Amino acid sequence: MPDVIGNPDKRVFTPGRLPQISEPVMRLNPASDPRKMRRIIAEDPEWSLAIIPLLRDLCLQHIVKNFENNPILNELHPSHRAKVLEKLSTKLPLKVTANLISDEGYWNRCCTERWGVCDVACYENSWKRMFFERHLEKIIELFIPDVTDIKTVLDVVPLCKNYVKKLNISQLLPPVKEQQMNEDDNASDTASDLGHEGPSIDHFDFCTLLDKLTHLEELHLVYGVTGCGMNFEWNLFEFTYRDCQSLAKALKSCKTLKVFRIHQSKVDDEKVRLLISSLLDHPFLTVLDLSHNLIGDRGARAIGKLINERKMKSVTVYDNKIRAHGAQAIAYALTKNTTLTSLNLRLNQIGDEGGQAIAHALLKNATLTNIHLGSNELTEPTATVLSQVLVQNKTLRNINLSCNRLGLDGGKQIQEGMSYNTTVVEFDVRLTEIGQESEYSISQILQNNREKARKKPITESGVKK
Amino acid sequence: MNPAENGSKEPEPVESVPSVESDIPEERIAARRLRIAARIEAKKREALGDDPDPKKEVKQELKSEKQVEQSRQRLTKLKSDGTELVTNIQVAADSRESQRRTDEAEARRQRTERLESEAKMSLEKFEDITKKWTMARSKEVPQDLWEMLNVQQQQCALLIEDKNKLINDLQQELKASDDRYVKDLKKQAEDIDLMIERMEEQIKNLMKSYREELNQIEKSFELERRELLDSNHNKWEQMMQYRRDKELQFLMMRMKRVEEQERQLQQLRVQDAEEYNMIKIKLETDVQILEQQLQQMKATYQLNQEKLEYNFQVLKKRDEENTITKSQQKRKITRLQDILNNVRIKLTKQDKQFREENHGLTEDYKRIMEQYKEMQKKMKHFANVDAKKFQEIWLMNEEEIKELVQRALETDRIIHEQQLGLTWEKPHLPFMERSGPIVPEHKKKKLALQLAEEVIRSKGNTDAAEEWEAVCAPGTLSDSLPFQEQDRLDTGDTEISADQSLKISVKTIKRLLEILCDETGFLIESKLLKLLSPLEKDEQSLMKLDAIFMALGIENEEDVHKLADFFIRYRQQQTVDGKDADEDESPGKSESHAQKEIGDGSSHRSSSSDLIHPNNVLQALRDFTKEHCKPRDKSQKLFNLNERDDSKDAAYWEDMVNVIPESKLKVWDALYNALEKYHHVLTERMKLINETDGMKQQNSELRMLLHQYVNSRVNAELEIPPTQVMQIESSWN
Repeated sequence: MPDVIGNPDKRVFTPGRLPQISEPVMRLNPASDPRKMRRIIAEDPEWSLAIIPLLRDLCLQHIVKNFENNPILNELHPSHRAKVLEKLSTKLPLKVTANLISDEGYWNRCCTERWGVCDVACYENSWKRMFFERHLEKIIELFIPDVTDIKTVLDVVPLCKNYVKKLNISQLLPPVKEQQMNEDDNASDTASDLGHEGPSIDHFDFCTLLDKLTHLEELHLVYGVTGCGMNFEWNLFEFTYRDCQSLAKALKSCKTLKVFRIHQSKVDDEKVRLLISSLLDHPFLTVLDLSHNLIGDRGARAIGKLINERKMKSVTVYDNKIRAHGAQAIAYALTKNTTLTSLNLRLNQIGDEGGQAIAHALLKNATLTNIHLGSNELTEPTATVLSQVLVQNKTLRNINLSCNRLGLDGGKQIQEGMSYNTTVVEFDVRLTEIGQESEYSISQILQNNREKARKKPITESGVKK
Repeated sequence: MNPAENGSKEPEPVESVPSVESDIPEERIAARRLRIAARIEAKKREALGDDPDPKKEVKQELKSEKQVEQSRQRLTKLKSDGTELVTNIQVAADSRESQRRTDEAEARRQRTERLESEAKMSLEKFEDITKKWTMARSKEVPQDLWEMLNVQQQQCALLIEDKNKLINDLQQELKASDDRYVKDLKKQAEDIDLMIERMEEQIKNLMKSYREELNQIEKSFELERRELLDSNHNKWEQMMQYRRDKELQFLMMRMKRVEEQERQLQQLRVQDAEEYNMIKIKLETDVQILEQQLQQMKATYQLNQEKLEYNFQVLKKRDEENTITKSQQKRKITRLQDILNNVRIKLTKQDKQFREENHGLTEDYKRIMEQYKEMQKKMKHFANVDAKKFQEIWLMNEEEIKELVQRALETDRIIHEQQLGLTWEKPHLPFMERSGPIVPEHKKKKLALQLAEEVIRSKGNTDAAEEWEAVCAPGTLSDSLPFQEQDRLDTGDTEISADQSLKISVKTIKRLLEILCDETGFLIESKLLKLLSPLEKDEQSLMKLDAIFMALGIENEEDVHKLADFFIRYRQQQTVDGKDADEDESPGKSESHAQKEIGDGSSHRSSSSDLIHPNNVLQALRDFTKEHCKPRDKSQKLFNLNERDDSKDAAYWEDMVNVIPESKLKVWDALYNALEKYHHVLTERMKLINETDGMKQQNSELRMLLHQYVNSRVNAELEIPPTQVMQIESSWN
């Protein structure tokens, strides 16, 4: 019985079909001879009349097979299209698929096959966007100047420019040098070598790319190498002046940019000034992030100017070297600006002088909601001014003063200020040595404020209804 | 985590309900604020139209909400605690970093200080050494030099040693910092591990607690739902019970009603049956009657049928006859057709003939018309000539007659003065002053327009108007005064109106004219109005009146007066207060008027200030034209035909003839007779005088003769003288 079932020719039992059975089969299979094996199969679970697939299915199969040479998709009936998309290979060249296929299911398969771990929520639930953004990121991250052909990047651009909104580039490789071959030999005195090598270690030039990506809104850059391991070398993490120039030019050409972030790239005052001078008349830029860099007071002054001139919403400059003067410049900008909602100055050294300046600015500002002044060497004098701010300012919601030695007296002053405040929702005073009592009362007030803030939108929406 | 939760839960109620009696001032302030906020909220609710009822509902639903609120608080607490726990690591790292930075800065400062001091020291030493080099050159003793060199060497070695030491120190520091870096790295790795661990733990915790809370919330909701269900079920039951009761009630009511209605139905049925019977009987009798009638009708039908059959036969015969006559008529028609054709031909002939005739006649007519026109021309000419002749003859005759009259009058005067010895008064003879043929009265009358002009010119000056009236009135009235009384009684209306019209005051006429002017503007052509606009008001109204009079057919003064009179009467007709009363009162009213003796009624009318209401003017005018248009037409025609009215001529001439009245003639006759007699007497006397004269002559002659005779000697010779004889004779006489 099983051999009969296994036989594709299920019409065995129909006597009229006899002549079609080929000779060898007859010879091999004694059951094929109905005279010898005369049996009727009562039940066959796999029995099906559709042995030959439908012509439609064959056609679709053919389309799938030859999709690379002859892509037919949009002309198909929706149900057929779905079938084709289901079977299409993810290895198809992007040139064919990029602008033709918009089905999320296909791109979902592409992404999962390529990277495994994917969080589509970060890409507005668009698998296609995710695929192209990560694809382009990968290409740029693996781009080695003077070695990789620039065409590899430029070829992809026309395919993905409609879908890329965000570029999160976590490394930029430096050009490969002859010295790199010998770097193991003289690894001890790399610092001395870097001095005269400077101009020759420029990274990928964004000028060629950014003006072509017409939908780009976010750009995250790190001029450095991840996972260099024991091949560490200082010049791997160099952000040269020429890099900076080209980046500034590229930023100027990219008019759609809204968010710009450059991390851990040794951006010093000069470079910041160069970048910001190119950003001063940028039409849409609202978020700027310059964390983990080497920005000093002059750079801070430039940032203050940018805050003043542009309608920035968020500025993040934590882990830099901004001191009192820079903080004063930013504070001055705060008094003038009416759009900035978030300011992060964590891990700088603005000291009491800068802290007081910023606190005074907050007395006048009515838009800023988040401020982070953690680890800034602030002490009691700043706390006194801040307590005043807490009483007067009605827009601040999040304040972070952690890791500042405010002391017991400062804590009391802040506690007093908080007792008049109804808007601040979060106030981080960890490691500020303000005393348990103050900390506790502040947390109580915060909880109250939180409850109020929670109820407010509900009642407002209720009234509106 | 639980202790933290408990810790956070305990103070919450205290914090959430701050009392006004609290010891802490902040709390009291907060309490008052809360109170105020609550009041404002309540007011807002009221303003929005919300009742406090929703609050109750909220309270009822509180169980689940409470549960949700509790869960939410617990979860937020959990979350914030968790995040704090996680971020604690970051904060610690931050603080470590900042600490490191400060330490680093300090160390760097110390290091640079040390380097600087060392550099200074070494520089000093180096200078020392270099100084000594110069000293060494001055040394000439080799041993000294050697010593010196040794010392230098030692010093140099020291210097180098110092430097090396420093370098070693720095290298050690570098190593230490390297170690620290490695440590930091390790620490960071640990931190990250810790963080991940905590995160995972928190996620686990959160998941767990979320699930728990979810369960609890679900439970509470279910509980509430059950309660709700129960309550609703109860309510449902109640309602059902209520409904059942009601249904029962309704059923009972329905049954009752059904019974009642059945009873009513029964009653109705009985009634209807009775009625039915009655009707049935009635209808049966009706049927019988109708059957009888039917029989009768049938009989009549039979009769009629027979009659009709007979008629039919007759008609058939007639029809036959008719066919015969029809054929005859047809034949006749053909014959008549022939005749008609003949007649037509004749007609056309005649028509032609007549047309020609007509043509000839029209030409004749034209000719005659021309002749007639010529005749008319001639006639006009002759009329003019005749008129002239007539005038001349008239004038001649008049002159003659005037002479005669003059003579008659003269004679009359002479008679009166000389014969009768009476003073003679010259009678008033108007015709004497006049010459030419009489012009008919109406022609002589003033034209209506002239009157109007006068009236209007006299505007405002009432005295003048009255004067004028006084002037015009007596002239006409003095003669007619004696007649007037009689005339009023028996002569026609026109006479009276003519008389009366004269007495209508100017004021009234003026008013009338003004009203006419104002009310009958439609009679005036619009062109005229345009032309009039630049003129004065008087002129304007005059011109307007002219137009109006033209339209109304008013030509002369009399017509105007008629009109006025008509209006007044019209008004009087309208206000029938009794004319008698009016007339009785009128004398009193009309005292001021100049002619108060004449015509009480008229004077009253003229004085009545409200002539006619402007609104009635049109109606009045219509009536007026109806009444007065016809006579006018006739007179007009007559006047045109006769050209001249000689009715008055006879009177005129009669007047001339009657210059000497009948009485005078009688006087004259008497005088004539007397004079005749006187004449006769005078003639007799003359005769007698003549006789006496003759006699006297004879006497004287005779005397002479006698005297002669007497005186004659003869006589003396006679025995008896004649004288004696005479004496005797005289005595005899």
